[in-house]
Amino acid sequence: MPVTTDPAGAATAVAAPADRRTRSWLVVAVLVLGLALGVGAGLLIPRFTHPGDDSVEAGFLRDMSTHHAQAVEMSMLAHANSTNPRIVTLAGDIALTQHGQIGYMQAWLRDWGLSPTSSQEPMAWMPGSAGSVVNGLMPGMATPAQLAELRKATGNDLDVQFLTLMRAHHLGGIHMAQEIIQLSDDKDVTWLAQTMVSGQQSELGLIDSLLQQLQPK
Amino acid sequence: MSTPGPERVPSSVKVTKTSGQGKPPAGGSSSTKPGSSSTKPGAKKPGAKGGKGRKPVAPVKVSGGRNWGPIAVAGAVVLVAVGIIGYGVFAAVQGSKGWEEKLNAISGVVDYRAQKNAAIDARDHKEGTQTYVTSPPVGGAHNSVWQNCMGDVYAQPIANEHAVHSLEHGAVWVTYKQGLAADQVAVLQKKVEGQDYMFMSPYAGLDKNVSVQVWGYQYKTDDVNDSKIDDFIKDARLNASMEPGAACSSGNTTTGPLQAAATTPGMTSGS
Repeated sequence: MPVTTDPAGAATAVAAPADRRTRSWLVVAVLVLGLALGVGAGLLIPRFTHPGDDSVEAGFLRDMSTHHAQAVEMSMLAHANSTNPRIVTLAGDIALTQHGQIGYMQAWLRDWGLSPTSSQEPMAWMPGSAGSVVNGLMPGMATPAQLAELRKATGNDLDVQFLTLMRAHHLGGIHMAQEIIQLSDDKDVTWLAQTMVSGQQSELGLIDSLLQQLQPK
Repeated sequence: MSTPGPERVPSSVKVTKTSGQGKPPAGGSSSTKPGSSSTKPGAKKPGAKGGKGRKPVAPVKVSGGRNWGPIAVAGAVVLVAVGIIGYGVFAAVQGSKGWEEKLNAISGVVDYRAQKNAAIDARDHKEGTQTYVTSPPVGGAHNSVWQNCMGDVYAQPIANEHAVHSLEHGAVWVTYKQGLAADQVAVLQKKVEGQDYMFMSPYAGLDKNVSVQVWGYQYKTDDVNDSKIDDFIKDARLNASMEPGAACSSGNTTTGPLQAAATTPGMTSGS
């Protein structure tokens, strides 16, 4: 084998030194091309693998952050003002859990290089959501008047108001979470949404039993 | 892909070596494969393209110009690659443009963070009335209780000392000249209600109809329909937070100036 290649190499070297120069240029060009493609792929692949600014995932994370924030608000009021230990515990549990989940959602948006804000209307990511937003409020969210009532309420009245508002809030939240599980194949987002559905559904059971105890008189 | 290829070739070679010698007809049929494959390119090219087409090309290559073809192809490929990469870099840089940069690109936005004014940068929690160097304030020492900024629309002026704390938490404070027509106030209200990290109040003695501010940035305009208000909110809300993760709930929800007593009723929920 080496015997056969030697004359061939010598022949080309003697016959055409210009061939070698162009060949080395070609090698350089191929290397540059490979490097450039590598750099380009490195820059572009994360943009293709992360949901974009107008994706359903980004819309869900932004809207659910706002939705969760109100649950935290109502729960903190009940946690501070209720005299029923079971309400204080439930409200503290909801506030801490949902505030922690807001942290997950905001961190993912940041990881993806997306702003926590957008110019899109609330719920725009959800098909058929037209009309579900009233005065900027997503499904299940309490109105400013209801929140003002909750702030003033005390005793059993406060507990019942909190449970009633949180019941509606959970139903709206579960609906949104179920929707993103249908729409998205991002395993992180659907995982968190699934925990929201199961967690809030079990809390609904507790809320209903507490309402039964506290409501009838 | 690469493993089955090399495996197949030696196995077929072994078969021809062992069986080809023992069985001439079988070996003959198998030996025709490498033989035909080696003759195919030689036979087909002149055969398919014609002797006339092939022959003029060969002398041209020998004469020295034959290397321009691959160089041109390689050059074109490199150019296309550089174009793709250039776009990728452009898109990446554009997409990762910071919110500060976007905010400063809105003409009329005042960047107080760049001024390094100690009175504005101060983040101390101090009780009681504070003095601020801008109107409305965009930063500085503030009370430990923040103003509730869960899309709250306050009908009366609120205390700066609470509002500045909300700015620290990442909220956009929309203020308007006290006495602004109700239909114009309604336009602003639509941008705020239902949106966390937003709050709104009239402001006494405002020099423009509207002033929107976050911690360290402010934009003033006389037109409630000015689209730059929306741009400001989009780029600054939450992003401007000095304490990521801090809440807008559990804040003070009363209006009016700070009350004389250090601890005022109605603010207990926030402390």
